[in-house]
Amino acid sequence: MGSALDIPLHVKYIQSLGENKDDLVYHLTAHLRMNAVYWGLTALCIMGHKDALDRDETIAFVMSCWDNEAGAFGAHPDHDAHIHATLSAIQILLMQDALDRIDVPRVVKYILSLQQPSGVFAGDHFGEIDTRFLYCAVNALSLLDHLHELDVEKTVGYIRRCKNFDGGFGAREGAESHAAQVWVCVSALAILDRLDEVDQDTLGWWLAERQVPNGGLNGRPEKLEDVCYSHWVLSTMSILNKIPWIDADKLTAFILSAQDLEHGGIADRPGDLPDVFHTIFGLGGLSLLGYPGLADLDPVYCMPADLIESKGLRKGWEALPRRSLT
Amino acid sequence: MHGVKRVRYSREALAAKKEREQAKLKEYESLTGEVLARKKTKDWSQGSFDLTTKLLHVNPEFYTVWNYRRNILLNGLFPGRTPAEINDLLSDDLSLTTAFLKQHPKVYWIWNHRQWCLQQVPDGPSEEDPEAWRQSYWNKELFVVEKMLDADARNFHAWNYRRNVLSHMPIRRSEQSELVYTKRKIEANFSNFSAWHQRSKVLTSMWESGKLDKSRSLEDEFDLVKNAMYTDPNDQSVWIYHRWLVGSGDDRVIVEREIDSIQELLEEQPDSKWCMESLVFYKRLLLRKHEDSLTDGDRNDLENKCLELLTKLQSVDPDRRQRYLDLSHSKRAVE
Repeated sequence: MGSALDIPLHVKYIQSLGENKDDLVYHLTAHLRMNAVYWGLTALCIMGHKDALDRDETIAFVMSCWDNEAGAFGAHPDHDAHIHATLSAIQILLMQDALDRIDVPRVVKYILSLQQPSGVFAGDHFGEIDTRFLYCAVNALSLLDHLHELDVEKTVGYIRRCKNFDGGFGAREGAESHAAQVWVCVSALAILDRLDEVDQDTLGWWLAERQVPNGGLNGRPEKLEDVCYSHWVLSTMSILNKIPWIDADKLTAFILSAQDLEHGGIADRPGDLPDVFHTIFGLGGLSLLGYPGLADLDPVYCMPADLIESKGLRKGWEALPRRSLT
Repeated sequence: MHGVKRVRYSREALAAKKEREQAKLKEYESLTGEVLARKKTKDWSQGSFDLTTKLLHVNPEFYTVWNYRRNILLNGLFPGRTPAEINDLLSDDLSLTTAFLKQHPKVYWIWNHRQWCLQQVPDGPSEEDPEAWRQSYWNKELFVVEKMLDADARNFHAWNYRRNVLSHMPIRRSEQSELVYTKRKIEANFSNFSAWHQRSKVLTSMWESGKLDKSRSLEDEFDLVKNAMYTDPNDQSVWIYHRWLVGSGDDRVIVEREIDSIQELLEEQPDSKWCMESLVFYKRLLLRKHEDSLTDGDRNDLENKCLELLTKLQSVDPDRRQRYLDLSHSKRAVE
């Protein structure tokens, strides 16, 4: 059937990411660093090797990205605050049991200040709007126990206006359905207990049709399959309790075939260069598919399920049962 | 990263590559350090502006530097300048982003900066004609977006930007012209779901406002879709759009006519998953919406036919067999 998941190799890969400081690519991606650390740490948690990254160093890195002028986090020291980096920072600190390091009132204020009259959120004060940022806001407020400060009707109202005839959701009002935007909208609705806004049968159908003959998933009709859709599509299907509507064995095989079995990590598709983004999303997909030896991933938050459950935030999603290692 | 192939380097090649990178890296780190240091001191000078240009050429995804550039324009370069001079600065930045977009068509930060520039365009050229500059820019935007969509007809950044341009132009283009544009894109490639999607939005708006007679327009759409279906019955875009056209199923004549039409196609393409899937959906729509006008015999026939199709679908489209199984068990389910 193909190769098994090489957990020790992928753990080493993630550890090595912070060590390649003389790689040009490492520096050219500084604007994603906070996100990358969150992706890497979540991947390690799912593989059961959280301690492969040093806790104190990780926390120190996160805090070094605090933008005191804005009252939120940037992607890297001296980078401007942004809602996406802020969410990743909160998620990392939660996984490292260090949420107490956050100035919660300031961060909540920053997040709420980004909501637009239409109900959508901007990414920062320059105003780019996207349902991704709406999700960042809802997720972050939820993890900080400040969801009660959100105008839920206003927020849900915007998501509703992004709903398309295929049951999916776009980046903003009028935009085409895209699996990543579908995931952020459905997950936000799940956090807000408003899944009643989703046409679950139509969307379930649209999502099931993302599986292509080689077993991989794409993000929109007639586009190429990509491992990251193992997260966007599959997590959404998990929230709608419809994972059985695709072929799990074929998807599992596809994800496994995208591993780089020489240097570690998972790529967007077989034969391509791996990166930490596709590594977590491939692992997340495998976890939801019940792959043995992995911890449960919460598909709404894309974080370890036991952690989310301990905060009382688990919603009614379903994954395939975990197969045993033998 | 997407679509980057793994390459095997020899030890020598790898060493040479690393050496070349070291020089680039030193330069990059020095430039980055300089720019961020100036930003910290709120240096809004021309010199700093030029440094951001240099840095963004190397890394147009460096969002913090785009932010700094905008702040330099707002706080350093715009103040004290005439509207015409501000206009020139914005024009230069728009040209810069056009060049960047050719290399990086999917980078959010570049599209953002473009949009920001357009929002800054001052009234001009005169008090009597304050919208002319803006109108000229927005017209050009449409042209730029069309070129981007010619290069990649599915680029959602470009489609989103297109919608943005259409809604912001001081003198709006007609929705009719957008219908023409989407039709052109669809006829160039039936698989262009982005164009079908855009078309659905424009039609919805025109029907709701009464600009277009819905029933006549629907007929035109069914003709367009039928043509596409027969040309490529495997293309899911067409079938998804068709389901939207049939809509609520309140018009029984349409539902029955479409069922017949698809049945004909199925006879030519007996293994067509999309024909079968759609027939199940529309037959069940008929059962749900028009139950009272059907005889018991008709109802049983329809439901039995659906079950037959669902069984066949399990073998024709085995990846999704569980869905077809679920549908078999839930009688008269919508999906």
